[in-house]
Amino acid sequence: MQLLANALIAGSLAALIAGGLSLVYGTLGVFNMALGQMVLFGGYVTWFLHIQMEIPLLVSIFGGAIFGALLSWFTFEVFINPFYKRHRFLPLVTTIALSMILDGLILIIFKSSPKMILKGLKNTVEIFGATISIEQIALIAFTVLILCSFAYVLHSTSIGRKIRAVVQHPQAAMSLGIRSPQLHRLIFIFSGVLASFGGIFIGIDQSLSPVLGFPITIKAYAAIIAGGRGHFWGAIICAYLIALIEQLVVGIPLLPGGNYIPAGYQHSVALFFIIVFLIFKPTGLFCSRLRTA
Amino acid sequence: MLSHNVIFGKGKIFHFGPMGVAIISSYGIVITLKSTGSFALAFLVGLVCALLISAVFAWLSVKLEPDALGVITLAMHIAILNIAINWTSLTRGALGIPGVPRLSFFSSNTTLSITMAVVAVLWIIFMLYLDRSSFGRQISALAEHEWYAKSIGISKIKTNFIAFFIYALGITIVTFFSMQYLTILHPNDFMFPAFIFYITCELAGKPGSVLGVSLAIALLVILKEGLRFMPVPTGLTGPLELIIFGVILFVAVWWRRDSVFPNTRSV
Repeated sequence: MQLLANALIAGSLAALIAGGLSLVYGTLGVFNMALGQMVLFGGYVTWFLHIQMEIPLLVSIFGGAIFGALLSWFTFEVFINPFYKRHRFLPLVTTIALSMILDGLILIIFKSSPKMILKGLKNTVEIFGATISIEQIALIAFTVLILCSFAYVLHSTSIGRKIRAVVQHPQAAMSLGIRSPQLHRLIFIFSGVLASFGGIFIGIDQSLSPVLGFPITIKAYAAIIAGGRGHFWGAIICAYLIALIEQLVVGIPLLPGGNYIPAGYQHSVALFFIIVFLIFKPTGLFCSRLRTA
Repeated sequence: MLSHNVIFGKGKIFHFGPMGVAIISSYGIVITLKSTGSFALAFLVGLVCALLISAVFAWLSVKLEPDALGVITLAMHIAILNIAINWTSLTRGALGIPGVPRLSFFSSNTTLSITMAVVAVLWIIFMLYLDRSSFGRQISALAEHEWYAKSIGISKIKTNFIAFFIYALGITIVTFFSMQYLTILHPNDFMFPAFIFYITCELAGKPGSVLGVSLAIALLVILKEGLRFMPVPTGLTGPLELIIFGVILFVAVWWRRDSVFPNTRSV
């Protein structure tokens, strides 16, 4: 049960980040390699507002989300928009450049020591034999709330229908009068806000560290590749699946003699997902090939 | 780096895992050298290891779409690095392997430097020859328009495999000499930022251009080493280097945005 609880916590974090990214990849076909650093920036700004400026937590979280939106907007206008129209692989390289710049800025501004948004011991409760903190329960509930809200927007509003149309077939959507470029911008900013919430999640539950950037990016891409291009719910489900397998791999004695796989291999699960799915099922678990005339 | 330029710069193949090849080649060389003491055998083992992993990458380059190839080669690099760090009984993990024996001929750094410079010049000449050879034309043709290239008999499988094997040879030579110079093998030398330096040099020097990339390598290495002597606090040197090279990479892509991935010519 503890492994399941851990998987739920880690999966909620990954789902927040992978969900927004799947929309970006589905609509623009662009890999944002600076995603991990954008996640961290959201958390660090919240930490700065709450710990350094002593602003109440909820206001700090709101401030972190606003900063995430602004950073995404800047990223889209400078590093994505001028390039993806020329060739969709160019933003892959420009976002690598951005990731280096953001890494350097994080190290200069926030230094390399770990930062926690909530200090002190956490209050824990026991649920069905699993120990979980109140903050973790709140974070899981918040993630579910965000995802449910987005589900409502995606499936029950006109803008959600437009997003789904652009994801399924951008050219057909434009021929129906849907303004894809503005929608691309909006989707990218929304993915940045979700990424910021992911960083805030990390800062509250664990601690923020500059070295987390790249592993976060890889894990998010594992979820969207396994889920299928542009499939929002596929990415969410695969994020939880990857988190569950990561916990089981190191939490259950799988080696002969009742030995455990070393914990250092835990993060290789995401890599394994990427490699296996891209070789054997590149469309992912939940997607089929795009129908063409 | 010039051999990766053949793959990424000239062939437009999204090979983001050159560091993965370097890790396997390096550990093959060092472990064999420390076990047997034979430099020739160590080089051979390193080369075979590099060729085997390069064959896997070459196969993937034929099978996958470009962006998928980029992600999978990156994932494989990280997976190989994870194994090198966690397989402590073989690789000593994050501690690295110190005390790599040196050839008696390289007893002084001066001799080693001169030898490495000569080898570098010879490699540049080889790359220039390759660039102007039929192989160079074939890989350019495949990058420009795959269908048309195949229609005139150019084999993507054969061309890609040759390109990756040339890279394997180049990286084995590099790792052999770098182990002779450093005398320590550490997994930190094979992290993702090392690969970003490759890409920066290739984009700054013009993708596919041997002389351009050689010049870019020279200038950026001088810049990288020169940053150490700048009057900035020690803790700022690393982050400053990241920011400067990130900006250089962005400017290089912006400057060459039409030639990095050129649009296919059509009638």
